[in-house]
Amino acid sequence: MSAASVAVVDVGLVGNIASIRRALEAAGAHVDVIDRPDQLLQADKLVLPGVGSFAEAMAEINTRGWLEPLRLAAVSRPTLGICLGMQLLSRIGFEFGESEGLAVLDGEVRRMECKAPIPHIGFKAVTTVGKPELFRGIAESEEFYFMHSYEVVNYTDVAALCEHGSHRFVCALQRDQVFGVQFHPEKSRDAGIALLRNFVEL
Amino acid sequence: MSAGSGMRVIAKLDVKPPFVVKPIHFEGLRKIGDPAQLARRYYEQGADEILYIDIVASLYQRNVLFDQVEAVSSQLFVPFAVGGGVRCIDDMVRLFHGGADKIAINTHVLQHNPELLDEAARTFGCQAVVVAIEAKRHSHGWECYSDCGRERSGKEVIAWVQEAERRGAGEVLVQSVDCDGRRQGFDVALLQAVKRGVGIPVIAASGAGSIADVVTMAAQVRPDAVAVASLLHYGLASIAELKAALVEAGL
Repeated sequence: MSAASVAVVDVGLVGNIASIRRALEAAGAHVDVIDRPDQLLQADKLVLPGVGSFAEAMAEINTRGWLEPLRLAAVSRPTLGICLGMQLLSRIGFEFGESEGLAVLDGEVRRMECKAPIPHIGFKAVTTVGKPELFRGIAESEEFYFMHSYEVVNYTDVAALCEHGSHRFVCALQRDQVFGVQFHPEKSRDAGIALLRNFVEL
Repeated sequence: MSAGSGMRVIAKLDVKPPFVVKPIHFEGLRKIGDPAQLARRYYEQGADEILYIDIVASLYQRNVLFDQVEAVSSQLFVPFAVGGGVRCIDDMVRLFHGGADKIAINTHVLQHNPELLDEAARTFGCQAVVVAIEAKRHSHGWECYSDCGRERSGKEVIAWVQEAERRGAGEVLVQSVDCDGRRQGFDVALLQAVKRGVGIPVIAASGAGSIADVVTMAAQVRPDAVAVASLLHYGLASIAELKAALVEAGL
């Protein structure tokens, strides 16, 4: 059986693409890192990673001609946004000013408001909503690694929730074949690999 | 929601390439082992994060050795923070490409260019920037040092961590020049003062000689994470034992 092919989108941000590649390979994928918009349509599945700020990332996406190709590609094949990548799939973001997102998923990206320390950093268990495909076969006690100061506020596509202090926030989204996770599956031990495998095997 | 301890347990590797070493008071290095092997061992024991600090890079005015960083990161599916000799955004870019998830920085921002913190936070997000502190106690507080506790800065620890937070640091790693490597317990007053002073996560380090030292400190300080080195290197405790003790203590 040939390995499922996944393209990791490098829009020009510095990030932990090396980690994501390794984790996807551990999950059984054949991985290509793509850095030109014209490569998008050849991909079976897309992973949109990202570290950095929403505003800087969208600026890169706009100036390098990714915006429309990425929107089109993301709604026409299984796509997974990780951390900032999930946030970029949203409609609008408020980090370093207001900027429009890819708007593949509804949602606003806002700074987390709570008494617990921000950024929210650490391993946490999550509570799934419905039976999201990404979490198939993963026990509710499994923990995922979070490292973020902003969250996606979304009411319609929630796949999983998490808590920081007493603040509850959306940590995974799904609409059709578009997925987003706020945590880092590539940094979440075996549970993270299992989640990526669920995506790879869709 | 979580079954485990909320407090992260971080394995800290002080590296003088090609070996992990353990300084005492940041000096008198003892050779411990191979960084990639130790990182893998602590990962398998359940470390929540691996922190790799090239402790001589700043001193020798060179960069962290990138091939070493890559060799360590390739075996880890937990966060990997790297520090030592970082002087500019390009240094950080290379570390991220080598598999780092966060950058720890002390000397350059403390002694030369605090604005690098602002720039790094804007570029990579503040969650990727850890400001590392080497604190040394004086009569009425603590002063920040750099270069393995050799260089004074004239800056007070609490004022500096607050400035670092304002500039965009996402975490603070608190090391004590007085306690590091001695295995006689943490500087609890220092950690409490930092925890009170900032809103970002605090990583407590320096001084753990036993599981009890960590539990006692954790109960008093409630840090967001604890970084241990000697405890692991000398086989005094495993990460799993430490985590179990923290859970048992309700921390």
